[in-house]
Amino acid sequence: MPGKSQPSQARYAVRTAAFLLLALPWSQLAAHAAEPTPPILEAMTAELDRAFAELGHAAQPSAAGKQLPPYFLSYSVQDAQVVTIGAQYGAVVNSTTNRLRSADVQVRVGSAQLDNTHGDHRGTAVHTVRLPLTENREAFQRLLWVATNAGYGAALDNYLRVKTESEVRAKEEDSSADFSQEKPQVHVGKPAQPVEVDRAAWEKRVAALSRVLREFPEVYASQSMLSVQNTTTYYASSEGARIVTPYRLANLVVIAMTRAEDGMDLIQMRTFQAETVEGLPTQAEMERSVRQMAVQLAALRKAPVTEPFNGPAILSGRAAAVFFHEVLGHRLEGQRQRGDKEGQTFTKELGKPVLPEFLSVIDDPTQAVLDGVALNGHYSYDSEGQPAQRVELIDKGVLKTFLMSRMPIASFAQSNGHGRAQAGRMPNGRQGNLMVTSTRTTTEAELRRQLIEEAKRQGKPYGLYFEDISSGFTLTQRAAPQAFQVIPLVVWRVYADGRPDELVRGVSIVGTPLAAMKKILVTGDKPELFNGICGAESGSVPVSAVAPALLVSEMETQRQPQGSSRPPILSMPQDGRQTGPQGTSTSGASAAAQQQQEAQ
Amino acid sequence: MKRVAWLLAVVLSMGAVGAEAEKPATRADAEKDPVLRAMLKELDRSVEQLQLPGSLKPYFIQYRTEDVASYTARAEFGAIEGAGHAHHRVVVVTVRVGDRKADSSGSPADATAEQACVGDDEVALRSALWAATDRAYKVALASYAQKQAALKQVQTPPQANDFSEELPVIALGARARLEVEHGIWPERMMRVSGLYRAAENKKLAGGVVDGARAAFEAMARTTWLVTSEGTIVRKGTTSFEETFAASTQADDGMRLTRSYSSTGASVADLDAEEVFAKHAEELLSSLGDLRQAPLVEEEYHGPVLLSGDASADTLRALLSGVTAMRPRLGTEARTVGAFASSYHARVLPDFLEVVDDPTLKSFNGKALVGAYRVDDEGVTGEQVKLVEGGKLQGYLIGRQPVRDFPHSNGHGRAAIVGPARPHISVLKVTPREGMTNEALEKRMLEIARDRGLDHVYIVQTLGGVQFPRLLYRVGTDGKRTLVRGAALDDMDNRTLRSSVEAAGKDLWVANYTDDVPTTVLAPALLVDDVTVKRANEKNAKLPFYPPPR
Repeated sequence: MPGKSQPSQARYAVRTAAFLLLALPWSQLAAHAAEPTPPILEAMTAELDRAFAELGHAAQPSAAGKQLPPYFLSYSVQDAQVVTIGAQYGAVVNSTTNRLRSADVQVRVGSAQLDNTHGDHRGTAVHTVRLPLTENREAFQRLLWVATNAGYGAALDNYLRVKTESEVRAKEEDSSADFSQEKPQVHVGKPAQPVEVDRAAWEKRVAALSRVLREFPEVYASQSMLSVQNTTTYYASSEGARIVTPYRLANLVVIAMTRAEDGMDLIQMRTFQAETVEGLPTQAEMERSVRQMAVQLAALRKAPVTEPFNGPAILSGRAAAVFFHEVLGHRLEGQRQRGDKEGQTFTKELGKPVLPEFLSVIDDPTQAVLDGVALNGHYSYDSEGQPAQRVELIDKGVLKTFLMSRMPIASFAQSNGHGRAQAGRMPNGRQGNLMVTSTRTTTEAELRRQLIEEAKRQGKPYGLYFEDISSGFTLTQRAAPQAFQVIPLVVWRVYADGRPDELVRGVSIVGTPLAAMKKILVTGDKPELFNGICGAESGSVPVSAVAPALLVSEMETQRQPQGSSRPPILSMPQDGRQTGPQGTSTSGASAAAQQQQEAQ
Repeated sequence: MKRVAWLLAVVLSMGAVGAEAEKPATRADAEKDPVLRAMLKELDRSVEQLQLPGSLKPYFIQYRTEDVASYTARAEFGAIEGAGHAHHRVVVVTVRVGDRKADSSGSPADATAEQACVGDDEVALRSALWAATDRAYKVALASYAQKQAALKQVQTPPQANDFSEELPVIALGARARLEVEHGIWPERMMRVSGLYRAAENKKLAGGVVDGARAAFEAMARTTWLVTSEGTIVRKGTTSFEETFAASTQADDGMRLTRSYSSTGASVADLDAEEVFAKHAEELLSSLGDLRQAPLVEEEYHGPVLLSGDASADTLRALLSGVTAMRPRLGTEARTVGAFASSYHARVLPDFLEVVDDPTLKSFNGKALVGAYRVDDEGVTGEQVKLVEGGKLQGYLIGRQPVRDFPHSNGHGRAAIVGPARPHISVLKVTPREGMTNEALEKRMLEIARDRGLDHVYIVQTLGGVQFPRLLYRVGTDGKRTLVRGAALDDMDNRTLRSSVEAAGKDLWVANYTDDVPTTVLAPALLVDDVTVKRANEKNAKLPFYPPPR
């Protein structure tokens, strides 16, 4: 794209730039673009320019006096089509197509140094409105006008509060500006095509996956859900940004639940993802994976309950990826380094070692594929219209930077293209593709051997192998994601005396899991991928995490708190002709063999 | 709250009309329906086998399956915003342990819901019932233990049993089917919501429309109900609704909102497009009138005439508490709410009578959405005389008895998810000697002159019980002026009892298509002493910049 480099010293310069754009016919700009200007972008740009020119400048309809003009205005339109098919107990429970267009209007008044988004007011700067599905420019602009009015009114109100609060409060520890100065980007990509799904066929396939679980009477509850979405994001700002980017994701998740005789609830899930449904694994592959999951869940139900333990452990690559995402990644989000209510775990650690020196961590949303598998956290532009950047977060164990949105912090004034949000939320620094690399690697077999060695050295009868862990958020959908917990789902005891590995249930990691990170001794040599959806204050965003398996010298665990409800009293209704999966058992299955199914 | 005037919905199971004349249905008939077959099979298994060793067996189990198919088309400012189908099913399970005298009820076990498959897969449907039953039974056991402990804490025993004994009913109406020509509705909604343009140019007195929405919603709901007592019910209802809503601001920033709906049991019951459009246009021009209307005076005390429309809303709000609900344990109360101690006492002037009659399917040719044959506890709906000679003669009751009322009168009604509760159905308020509107106005002006008032008020429509949307100030010379920004005060049960001066002779039909559909048939009411004052809602800023043209 031809860089429309703007002078960006002060608000006035930004304004001038915007007026320049106003004067410049849009078609001239579009002529540089590879794609014709989509009508949605034209309509939103027209209204954006009109609003920015008139707000605070037009003669007021009432004698209320002159208002402060906004210094920044952006429209982000999400045009999403989602096909959802859900099944339970072997039959379809819902099958819908939803089409939704919505616009997030962001208005900022004051100055980049201090504006209406300051402190706790950050979330108030976004106003969302539903937009029509037809290219009706009149209705489009009218609705954007309604939302802009509401947003501007709220911005004026919040700015007043911000100013009052900042006058009465002691000086803030971090006196950074509220909004970074960035170059506006122009990139008109091709809007996403409508979702194409053979609904009848996929209803059968999702139901069939759910029906697999009918073979397992101890799987008391389950959900199978396919969701296929094609979304186009249109972004325009008063700084001159004009961006159109498509996004596609087909996601099929199967969750199975059971309850042990002592009342402990157990859960397992399998997720299959691809850009479109065609990219999903074959039905046979998915059914096999679901069956393996159910077999493991049944085994887990009968497994002994864990005992308090403090000793060596291996995290499988996939478990390590989730672990790094939850425990490290979230704490490296820029906004968590600023504000009284944040833990600021890493704020003062910049330039200092936070991991063993053989480990490095990057976040690279620009990477689309890893070993032929699509990365969920890939994007070209973030939710603030900034180009995605490969960011070296930790280099040879030393903390280098944070995941930055356009909200500056004391140590960094610029975005690094990680300002992300779901529709309707204010963007924050978030992860995209978090990748952990190691220079001290060894084979899986050697890792296991070293685990046993370490257990012996510490005088422990066994070490733990964490095969699968889940984020607390994924499981509980908690609204407050402050404590990014990890919940172990599948854990094995690896005995030092050569006994077969033993599945245990009810393992919960104690204390701050960060401590465990400094005790990583060596890693595996194969990176594993976790593709998922991550939830936090700025909503749900697709992410990936990649990491090798880890050997940790010390991991403290205890028994997780559990319910006391009994398993169901009557057996689950059966087809009559079906007898269930008696005889299938996982006893003696090695951790490594179990792990095969984890990779996508 | 959605409310609909004069334009209505039939809700009674469409096919059930024919079924009523046929020979009584049997369990064998019911088992031809795959949903009922699955429900009965699982119910039998639960009745036979569900028991935790050492604990009580359930003495009553009820399964309800609700199937809801819907179609919606929404447009705003002349453009479609969304249109589509949805179809889902839930099962709602009730489990009671203990006995009729004292059981586990009053807990979530009264209605434990679980999503179910939309097709008729027997195992999947039974599995959903099984999961909900297991949860409900465990909750019921815990809640029964708590209830027994609580009973030991009070000296005064409960005033009535926990569960009434009723004769089982087998009633097999037809499944409801959603029949919508969905191609036409998006366009139609776009046309209606686009009417704001012409209005803004002509009728809005310089005002700006900041909301113009049209929506069409069609729903078909089938309910299957089976109980361990042998009740088997299938009933279907359909409802169609078209709404238009628009809003603007007065020059002082006051928000002005109006809406109009047309409702029916079939598309044929809805307004023709031209008729609906005419209502929408009138509504838009009323916004223009309201913009220019003066603000209501600061405070007024005196007679107010509630139109049938406004009266129906008011009576519904004030009389919907004539239900028999379980009182607090350890008290001698009969029920709860405004009418808890009013049995045989005066609640209305002696010239008003009130009945609630679910069997009343239509009135003056208009279908009534509150009507039904069998309620959601499987009890046949009965006409109930509530107020006679101004005195309270009874309560609306489901299967939860209260003192002096040991049986249900078929008023236990449930939203799609949730337990059945006593509820009004078709509430009919009839004056002994009703007056014409002219006579009512004349009488009101006489009162005004006697009290030295130079004007009175007529409430034409309400938006919520307290806030008139169309309110007219009427001078003693009969001159009417539309005013805005008012709130009504003192509209309470005391006013209803002692301040209603006279009533109109015609009954207004108001259908409310809420989760539990209801109808109110009400006369206009002349109320002797009401406070009208300024609502003093926050007046938001006018638009900061003009709308796009």
